[in-house]
Amino acid sequence: MDAAELIGEIVVSVLLLVGGLMSLAAGVGLVRFPDLHSRMHAATKPQVLGLLALVLACAVTWGSWPWVGVILFAWALQLLTAPVSAHMVGRAGYRTKHFRPERLTEDELAAAVDRINRSDSSRKAADDRRAIDGPRA
Amino acid sequence: MLEYAYWITQSLLAISVLCATYRVFRGPSVLDRVISVDVILIVVASMFLTDMVINDSQEYIVFVVATAVIGFLGAVAIARFVAVRRPESWRIGSDPQADPGLGGASTAHEPEAPNSEDETAVRRLLQDDSYAAPELQDPEETADPPESQRNTSWFQALARSRAAQQGRGADEDASQDREEDR
Repeated sequence: MDAAELIGEIVVSVLLLVGGLMSLAAGVGLVRFPDLHSRMHAATKPQVLGLLALVLACAVTWGSWPWVGVILFAWALQLLTAPVSAHMVGRAGYRTKHFRPERLTEDELAAAVDRINRSDSSRKAADDRRAIDGPRA
Repeated sequence: MLEYAYWITQSLLAISVLCATYRVFRGPSVLDRVISVDVILIVVASMFLTDMVINDSQEYIVFVVATAVIGFLGAVAIARFVAVRRPESWRIGSDPQADPGLGGASTAHEPEAPNSEDETAVRRLLQDDSYAAPELQDPEETADPPESQRNTSWFQALARSRAAQQGRGADEDASQDREEDR
């Protein structure tokens, strides 16, 4: 009985420390990293893995299935919503040039943006021509 | 032992909050601030979880669930309406000295950096080597902004329709950049 309690305490302590270290990694990454997208990479660490460690620590401590279900539900919601916000912020950051092109090793979106830009400009040119020619025709 | 783990974890979380607060204060763009505020929210939820572990209680569980549900809304909303950087602020932003967080290796070239239209005009007039030198040092740095602006012109045209109401935010962004330039 005593040994089981001790093991439980050790497990909970380790899970707490893992969660705290994940958050610390996020904080240090936010301060140290040079770029919006690398900061986002650091910022997502406590959102999933750190929160999972703390949720498991809670679950081990409480030892009651209904509360474990509730807290895992919270973690699952976080798992669903974190990619949405990361996607939106990363997209807005790319489009508003909050990154430095020379720091990227690979820019796979540049080709698509270039293609859209070219088709858009050609369509705009066609529209302009129609607007000029229209009254005369 | 659980007591020690509790205090160590809480101090780690507190350090994380301080780092994120520093980034909220410093962050060159509003998006950096948004992700930092997101991190602060998650870390506060983590603090509540840690407190629930040590007290063996479930009193803050509603806050944790609510954080997971609504935590992303702020980031999504602000990312939707973030202002496009104006050309001059982008040019300042592309300068390695503009953002100290970029660790731009402190290349001390062109301390009295003129903007690039003036620069090209003056260079064309004078054919001076002292103006050509910075471009030789890093050609992509000076050649890049027009290129990349052309790449995103379709989005800038889209966002310019909101430029009137976003103008003040863009001004703040630019002045922040200039402040960091100093």
